[in-house]
Amino acid sequence: MDVLTASDLIRLFDAWKQLFAEQREFLIALDGKVGDSDLGITMSKSFAAAAEAVAAEGGAAGISKLLRTAGATMARTAPSTMGTLTATGFLRASKAVETATALGTAEMAAFWIAYRDGIAERGKAKVGDKTIIDVLDPAARTLEQQAAAEASLSTALTAAATAAEDALENTKTMVAQHGKAAAFQEKTVGLQDAGATVGALLFRKLSDFVASA
Amino acid sequence: MKKFLNDPVNFVDEMLEGIYRAHSEVTFAADDMRCMVTSKPKTGKVGIATGGGSGHLPLFLGYVGDGMLDGAAVGGVFQSPSSEQMYQVTKAIDQGAGVLYIYGNYSGDIINFDMAAELADLDGIQVKQCVGNDDVASSKVGEEHKRRGVAGIYFVYKAAGAAAAEGLSLDEVHRIAEKARLRTRTMGVALSSCVVPEIGHATFSIGEDEMEIGMGIHGEPGISRKKLGSADAVIDEMMERIFAEQDYKSGDDVAVLVNGLGGTPLEELYILFRRVAHLLEGRGVNAKHVWVGEFATSMEMAGASVSILHLDAELDRLVSAPANTPFFKHFSA
Repeated sequence: MDVLTASDLIRLFDAWKQLFAEQREFLIALDGKVGDSDLGITMSKSFAAAAEAVAAEGGAAGISKLLRTAGATMARTAPSTMGTLTATGFLRASKAVETATALGTAEMAAFWIAYRDGIAERGKAKVGDKTIIDVLDPAARTLEQQAAAEASLSTALTAAATAAEDALENTKTMVAQHGKAAAFQEKTVGLQDAGATVGALLFRKLSDFVASA
Repeated sequence: MKKFLNDPVNFVDEMLEGIYRAHSEVTFAADDMRCMVTSKPKTGKVGIATGGGSGHLPLFLGYVGDGMLDGAAVGGVFQSPSSEQMYQVTKAIDQGAGVLYIYGNYSGDIINFDMAAELADLDGIQVKQCVGNDDVASSKVGEEHKRRGVAGIYFVYKAAGAAAAEGLSLDEVHRIAEKARLRTRTMGVALSSCVVPEIGHATFSIGEDEMEIGMGIHGEPGISRKKLGSADAVIDEMMERIFAEQDYKSGDDVAVLVNGLGGTPLEELYILFRRVAHLLEGRGVNAKHVWVGEFATSMEMAGASVSILHLDAELDRLVSAPANTPFFKHFSA
C-alpha cells in the first residue's frame, strides 16, 4: 500500500494485538532477567484494549482520533511505566498527524518522531540509556531520511524496521540507566533491552503489515 | 511486626473504608475508593489535586476539604497511584477553572501525574503542576530538582488552597504554590524504621542508640548515621542546614512545622520545637505561625522533621486563612 488509511490503522492495531499476544511469554522472560517481569503482561493487555477500542470507534473517526483513542485506552488499561510511555507515544503521534487523512512516508515520519519525543520527554530518557528510545530514535530518523528521499511507504518502513533491529542488537553493549534494570548496572551488558525489544517488534510488524497489504 | 491488621493485602482499602465511614465531607470518584474528592465542590473554583503512596497519613487524603485540596489519589503503601486514578480525580474536581496538581518529587508520581495531565488536556481541562522538593538532605544546593518532597508540602497545600478558596485564577494559584514551594525547606531525622504491611519486616535496621539525619519518608538513605545526641544537639544540626539555604534576616517572619513521622510522641516534638524557637529567636526571626504534630508520616517510623516557610505578606495572609478538612482544622485569628 502507498498510504495507510484510518481503516488500515484499525487492522494494524489488531496485528499489533496479535503480535504482543504471541510475544507475551518471550517478553516476560526477557524482562524477568533485570526487571519485574510485567512487560509481557503490560504490552499484551494494552494493545488488546487499544485494538478493541479503535475497532469500536471505526474508521470514520479518522487517523488522529483513532490514535488518541488508542493512547488514552492504553493509559487506562496498563498503569505500569512502559504502558504509560507507549500510551504517551500514541497520544503525541495523534497530535502530529492531526490533519492527515492517510499516512504516507512523510506523515509516518512525523508520527514516529512525535512518538519518540513523547516517550523521551515523559520517561526522561536520552539516546544511549538502554531504553526503547535507542530503537525509536534510529527508526524515526530513518523514516525522516526516507521521506526526504521521497521513498514509498513500504520501502521506508522496511528500512526503518531494519534500522530498529540493528539498534536493538546494539543495546546489548549498553548499561541500563532507567527503571528497575538500572539497579543491575553492568550486569545488563550483553542483554538486549526489553523496552527496546518492544520498539523493534512494533516496527517489524508495521513494515510487514504495509508490505503484505 | 506488631500491627492491627486483617489481611495485609487489604490494608489500604480497609483504611479507606474507615475514612469514608468516619468522614462524610469526603467521597470518591469513578467507583474507586482510591480517588478521593470533596463532597462539597465549589462552583467556578480552581481545583487542587494531590496524590502519592499510602502510608503517610494525614498526607495525602487528610487535606481534602475547605480551604485546602479538592481531591487526592492514593496508591498502595509507598506506591504511586495510576495515571487513570489521577485523571479520574481531575475530571471529578474540575469546575471549569482548571486544576492544579501539587505532589512530591518522586519519579513514579511524576510519570503518572504527567500522563493524567495529558489525558485531562484531551478533555479540555487545563492542568498546571507544582512538584514539592523541600527535603534539603536529599540533594545539594544547585541540584534542588533532585530533592524529594516531604512534610513541607503542607505549606504549599495551605497557601495554594487558601488562594483557590479566595477565587483566584489557575495562573495565580499556581504562582502562589510555586512561591510557597521555593520558600519552604525541610530537614528530617529518623530513629527507627517503618514496616510496610505486605512486607512484614523493617525496611532498614538502625541501632538502638543511633539516628539517621536526612532520611526520606520511605526510608531512603539520609546524609549521616551516628549516635543519637541530645534533642537540642539534633535540632542544632538540622537547623544549621536549613539556615544555610536562605537568607533569614532579623525581623523576617516564618511559619514552622515540627512534624512527627509516626512513632514519636507529641511531647518530644514540643521539646524539639522549643529548641527551634530558641534558634529563631537568636536570629531575630519571628515564628509567626507554628504547627506541631503529625502532618506527613512514614508508618510507625520514630523521628521528626522541621519545615520552615519563609513568609512574605501574601503567604502570611494565605497560611492564616481558615481551613476545615477531616484531619486538619484551622481557624482565622
